[in-house]
Amino acid sequence: MNSDLEWALEIVGEWALEHNAPAADRLDVRIKPEHTAAAARALIDARWGYLTAITGLDGSAEDGQLEVLYHYCRGASILTLRASLPRDHAAVPSVCGAVPMATVYERELAEMFGVMVVGTPDSSRLFLPDDWPDGVYPLRKDAALERAAPAPEEDQ
Amino acid sequence: MSDNEHGGSKFTVPIGPQHPALKEPGHFEFGVDGEVVTSATVRLGYAHRGIEKAVETRNWTQNMYLLERICGICSHIHAMAYCLGVEALAEVEVPPRAQAIRVLVAELERIHSHLLWLGVAAHEAGFDTLFMYSWRDRETVMDMLEGLTGNRVNYSANLLGGVKFDLTAELAAEIKRGLAFLEERTQHYLDVVTSDELFLRRTRGVGTMTNEQAELLGVVGPTARASGVNRDIRVIAPYSAYKVFPVTPVVEYAGDLEARFVVRLKELFESYRLCRAVVDNLPPGDITTRFPRRIKAGEVVSRVEAPRGELFYFIRSSGGENPDRVKVRTPTLANMASVISLAVGHQLADIPMLLAGIDPCFSCNDRAVTISGDDDWTWERLRQLGIARYGRPAW
Amino acid sequence: MSVHIDRLWQDALEQVKTWARTNSPWVIHFNSGSCNGCDIEILATLTPRYDAERFGIKLQGSPRHADVLICTGPVTRQARDRLLRVYEQMPYPKFVIAVGSCALSGGAFQGCYNVVGRVDAVIPVDVYVPGCPPKPEAIIDGIVKLLDKLNGAAPEEAQL
Repeated sequence: MNSDLEWALEIVGEWALEHNAPAADRLDVRIKPEHTAAAARALIDARWGYLTAITGLDGSAEDGQLEVLYHYCRGASILTLRASLPRDHAAVPSVCGAVPMATVYERELAEMFGVMVVGTPDSSRLFLPDDWPDGVYPLRKDAALERAAPAPEEDQ
Repeated sequence: MSDNEHGGSKFTVPIGPQHPALKEPGHFEFGVDGEVVTSATVRLGYAHRGIEKAVETRNWTQNMYLLERICGICSHIHAMAYCLGVEALAEVEVPPRAQAIRVLVAELERIHSHLLWLGVAAHEAGFDTLFMYSWRDRETVMDMLEGLTGNRVNYSANLLGGVKFDLTAELAAEIKRGLAFLEERTQHYLDVVTSDELFLRRTRGVGTMTNEQAELLGVVGPTARASGVNRDIRVIAPYSAYKVFPVTPVVEYAGDLEARFVVRLKELFESYRLCRAVVDNLPPGDITTRFPRRIKAGEVVSRVEAPRGELFYFIRSSGGENPDRVKVRTPTLANMASVISLAVGHQLADIPMLLAGIDPCFSCNDRAVTISGDDDWTWERLRQLGIARYGRPAW
Repeated sequence: MSVHIDRLWQDALEQVKTWARTNSPWVIHFNSGSCNGCDIEILATLTPRYDAERFGIKLQGSPRHADVLICTGPVTRQARDRLLRVYEQMPYPKFVIAVGSCALSGGAFQGCYNVVGRVDAVIPVDVYVPGCPPKPEAIIDGIVKLLDKLNGAAPEEAQL
């Protein structure tokens, strides 16, 4: 682990449940969902780096939970904060207080995975069409996409 | 349309959703009070094709062809980010000659993309002559790409484990000839954008993003570098052959539209230099290596510098022939928030140029939407507003 | 007698209209969710090397003034209604050119959720230009083939 990542671990230490380094420039830290906003604030205030993406994952956890990954970058180092969420009540606090531009990432997470992002300034759809049925979250492994299938042969 | 507290009228001007060639054609809504923008929102989705879901039902090789087509303007860099990530997961060492050719194609792509952008941004400012000249010159780099890879767009130069095409001596000579021509033309364009009076009125001091704002807004690419934020993945986290052919970062500090033009033009010189360096010092050896069909389970992050900024890939394998997850965060999405934030307080006429400044592939469209009865605002009309406001001489 | 002269006058007028349409087709371009590859090649046809304008082709903004719609992309759900609306706003006689593999069959995005898959599932298409993307020469060829079709079909079409 390089010195930047060591520093990152110090910053988020109080919320870190466990951590590991999957590659030379990467550090993964598992935290509770409710701490994502506080951790974001701490990293931004310390000017550690910037939030580069928020990834939703389904199927990575053995217990069938969803995971949300927050990727922060400083130079070549990548810190990923990972939070596990129950599928039925998937909710995280918004990080937009610390990272205003995360709004587009949070909108994407919400519509693709059905994660409620509490306090996010804009929760309207970003990519999915207006007539997309509610409750169908495309990137979940069990998404009922047939409910949303467009009818190809329609009026000419 | 609604009335504001002062008894005046506020309009919402919808721009979009259709653009002739925008990576993610967007629908923007600008609330305006007179001519000044008071609020801005964005709605995307018109080019949403469900790619992140589709990758889960295609194998690792098929996905390369799919991901290449996320964007026609920067298709190679997408494939490169994907291949670098998958190769890291599979722990396969790609031959240095292949990595160098990948970098060569990536830089040629950057050249075509910046010249494309120059033309379109000029078109937004009403400067059609510059549009035509820059696209004529761009044909030079299109010829190079076609000569090397067989296609002008969607080059498919990558393979998992290497590249498909090798560089011959004739091609090398043709590339160097073309680069010499382009270098001369680019110097001319740099002179034009920094000295043409009418153009400067549209760009100097417009859309200024301070260093502080750029950091806070998390912008990437030339948009960030125009505000003094030295974020270039080729420099801060060199990948592929950039470790052997290092890049000198191009940074400006004014943070306005003019700076964004200057950064991209100066980057072109850096790209020309890089291409020449690669062509003259191409490592010998193979261009491919063996690659497994099943990829070891694991997760990898792949960050590369696309023409528009940092492209981020997160790839997860569960040990099979198909990926478990491929997450793509494009630079335009990262920069989109900055447009929304910058737009407020600016004149409506500046909006097309502001959008062009972040280089969202293209930002012109012709969707007409009627608002409140008698007013039809099309993109074209908005452009004309800008041109009329800044371009016409006083007499 | 006057009916005969009327008929001659009508025919002459139709021939002039057809001549104008085929010699200067006004084109509107629509991206129904493509990766932009086809769109930049379409734009390239207007630039000095290919210079489609010398064939009289004019790319302009409003569907209400257009003779020809050039459509790219696999038609996403979001774009489908807009595509229909643009098509309906065009006055008769109108023609459609579908450019690129995606517009023809969905291309690499066949089977993706949110994608209808073919332009001709939404509006009738007159000319198909395959490629990923087709080169500007191929696109111009498609337009010229349409003009030939326009010339040949003109008398019946004009009755609409």
